[in-house]
Order: sequence, then structure tokens, then C-alpha cells
Amino acid sequence: MLGLIEKDLRLTLARKQTLFIFLAVALVMRLSMDGPFLIGYLTMLATIVAVGTISFDEYDNGFAFLLTLPFDRKTYVREKYLFCLLMAAAAWCLGAVLYGVGNSLRHSAGSLCDELPMLLAMIPVMYLSAAVMIPLQLKFGSEKSRIALFILFGLAAILLVGVRQGIGGSAPGMAGLTETLESMSPLVILFVLAAVCALTAYASYRWSVRIMEKKEY
Amino acid sequence: MIKVDRLVKNYGDFHLNVSLEIPDGTVTGIVGKNGAGKSTTIKAILGLIQPDGGSVTVNGREASRLTGAEKAKLGVALSDSGFSSYLRVEDVICILRKLYPTFDEAFFRSSCTLQGLAFNKQIKDFSTGMRAKLRVLAAISHRAEMLIMDEPTAGLDVEARNDILDLLRQYLLENDRRSILLTSHISSDLESLCDDIYLIHDGKIALHEDTDRVLSHYAILKLSEEAYETLDRRYLLSTKKESFGYRCFTNEKQFYAENYPGIVMENGSIDDLILMMTGGK
Repeated sequence: MLGLIEKDLRLTLARKQTLFIFLAVALVMRLSMDGPFLIGYLTMLATIVAVGTISFDEYDNGFAFLLTLPFDRKTYVREKYLFCLLMAAAAWCLGAVLYGVGNSLRHSAGSLCDELPMLLAMIPVMYLSAAVMIPLQLKFGSEKSRIALFILFGLAAILLVGVRQGIGGSAPGMAGLTETLESMSPLVILFVLAAVCALTAYASYRWSVRIMEKKEY
Repeated sequence: MIKVDRLVKNYGDFHLNVSLEIPDGTVTGIVGKNGAGKSTTIKAILGLIQPDGGSVTVNGREASRLTGAEKAKLGVALSDSGFSSYLRVEDVICILRKLYPTFDEAFFRSSCTLQGLAFNKQIKDFSTGMRAKLRVLAAISHRAEMLIMDEPTAGLDVEARNDILDLLRQYLLENDRRSILLTSHISSDLESLCDDIYLIHDGKIALHEDTDRVLSHYAILKLSEEAYETLDRRYLLSTKKESFGYRCFTNEKQFYAENYPGIVMENGSIDDLILMMTGGK
């Protein structure tokens, strides 16, 4: 497992130019924008970069050799989920530091601690995208998985519009839901999100393991 | 020890059906034409494909169920796959250090220096020969009990090939329990390294023989049509019609040398074995 994390970390660091551009954009955003958007931006990018290491593994028929190294296929999948989480957490920390430093320099009102639960909620939200992308990438490869992702988001959008139109007549229901969410404590929302994320990630992990165990190289 | 017992794998019109055994302490070569089934057999041994029938065991364990610790006893070099080309040798060292508790970093570093592999250059900037050397070095540097190599010298010049063969010989010299299973198109590599040879043709084992016996007992007989008609053909493995008459392949060189003194005879080689056993009529 440690060897795989080392490999993914080194593959990530091999993309120095991309990382530099991401960080430069983050700094510019911090200087020009207020609010915690930067933290979400960095966490999302880190998640995408982490999932992208699967493309590196796949490139040049790399999987064939990779799977002869001393770990089983389940460990490979487990490492991907762990690596995405580590990257998301590390990027969140970096974003939080930039956000906190920016706030203190601007003497902005409100401390980071007050916002912490809602800011932390960005990690499970972004991690959910990894839970969707990892099995798609393992199943379809880096090229086809993009098409699969578009189709998936398209279907999700159609479903949402359908649901909205379906309950269009009962707008008070939606308003009620919004009110309930607003009245909830940020900590409760964080725990709910974390629980949803954990369940989704577990289901996604099981699916990814099945995909990997069936694949031939 | 590797045991392939009636392995069956079907890809459309191609059907692989082979059995082979690689005991500890031996060097076994698999030869055959392109598409004969060599790489498919290697992939099945490495658990990269699921057999449609039969079984493949490595040290008693089904190949597709090998644990990390069991895989650590193997060193693998594939012709068309390796560490990501975006990594540097320095990165590979750090990864191998974490993957294999027995990784011999000093040996790996000194071998890389000796072979002219730059530590801080990305693998994608290496030549074909350098990449092949790196693959072999990565496979042998953790004191594996067995090496499994698919075409380790394919596409290399004579010097690079010799360097790789020297690395393999050095690996074998360190411990006489070590084994190598390799496929190659280059017969001289196999003749100088292998104890025995499996010839795969159209997905089946066409022949299994000790290399020494191939070199000492097998021969090509060149015969006119008249000579061919009077020849005792009991020990001919295959015959091919040529412009001068017949080219015959035998595994009883001595018999024909003693009974037909005037016969034109060439010592057998693995190239002849492939050509005559897979193309002769």
C-alpha cells in the first residue's frame, strides 16, 4: 500500500507545471475574491488529480506490469480511494491556510473556527465526485470514462428536472425542505454529509473491486 | 515452482491449450511464432488473465489468488509494460524500497550506474535498450526466487542484449535455487541460458526438450529426392520440400550420421526447431 501511495505521489509531483498553474490560480483567487470558494476549488482539483493517477497507471499498458507487483487488486483499489482522500484533505488544509491567512490580513470579521463545520463539509462533497469517477475510470478507461461521466451527469440533470417538475405543484414541500436544512446545525449537516459520503464511497469501492477483479490485462 | 495444467484460454478463433512445469532451479524458455500463445501463457501465470479451463499454480497457489507476499518472491519484466514513463529512476527506487522489504538498493543503484541509467531522467526519455535494462534490474533487485520475463531482449542491439543476459546470469549465479521463465524470439539468447525449451505452436505445446539435447541430437538433413526416397524416415520430425529436394528435421542425428555417412547434415538450433516444427510439411 505504501509503495502505491509513493508511486501516486511521485506521479502527481511529476506534473509540476499543472500543479504550479493550479496553485497560481488559487493564489490569484485568494487575492481577488472573498469567501471560502478557494478551499472547495483546491479540494476539487486535488481530487481530480488523484483520480487522474489511474490514467497514468493505464497509459502504455501499465496495468499489466503494475498488477505483477506485490499487492492484490483489492489493495490497488483501496489505495486509490485512500489516496484521493489524502489528496482532498491535504488540498483542503492548504486552502484553509490560504483562506485563514487572507482573512487575518484583511482583518475580516468571523473566525475560521465558526465556519469550520461548513468548510469541512467540502471534503465529503468533493470526495463524492471521486467515488463516482474511480469506478467509471476503472471500468471504461480514461477516455471513455469522460463520456460515461457526461452521460451520468446528463441523466442526473434530467432526473432532477423531472423531480422538480413532478413536485412543482407542491412548492411548499421544497420550501419546507430548504427551511429544515437551514435550521439544522452545521455540525449535523457535516455528519450527514460524511455519512452519505462514507456509504457512497463504500458502495463505489465494492463496485471498483468487482471491476478490477474481472478485468484482464 | 510453476505448474500449468491443461490451461485453456479462448480469444475468438484462437484457442490456447497448454501444460508446462517449471521446477525450482531451472531456466525454461518458451519459443514460438508471433501469436502462438507465449504471452497469453505468461499472462495466465501472472494472474493477469482468467483461464477458461485448467489451472495455473505458482508455488502451490492459484496464480490469480497470489498474495502480495507471494508475488514479492517473483520478479517480472514484460516487453510492453513497465513503470510509468513519467517516473524517474530515483522515483522507481523509492517505490521499490516501499514495495519490497528485500529490495537491494545498493545493488540497484550500482547496476544502474554501470548500465548508464540516469537517476534523474524520466523513463520516457530513455532509449529502448535502457528501458529494457531498467525493467530487468527492477525485477532482479529484490532477490526474487523466480523471474518471469516476456521478451526481455526484444528490439535490442547485440550489446544491450548481452548486458541483459549477463544480468540474468549473475542473478542465477547468486543462488542455485533460482528459476527463470522467459519467452524470446532470439534463439541465441535461449541457447545460452535455458535448460529446457517449450515450443508453442497454434496454442499448443508442439515440443518440450532439454536445450542441450536440441543442440546435440537434433539436426537438419538436406536430401535430394532420390536420397529422400531411400531414407529411413522413422526419426524425422518434420519435412519440408525445397528446390534441391527435401529439408528434414530429426532428433536422432547420430542414427543418420552412422547409417547414411554421405548425408548433408547441419547441427540443429532453436531457430531450426521453430522453423521446422511450426512450418514444415
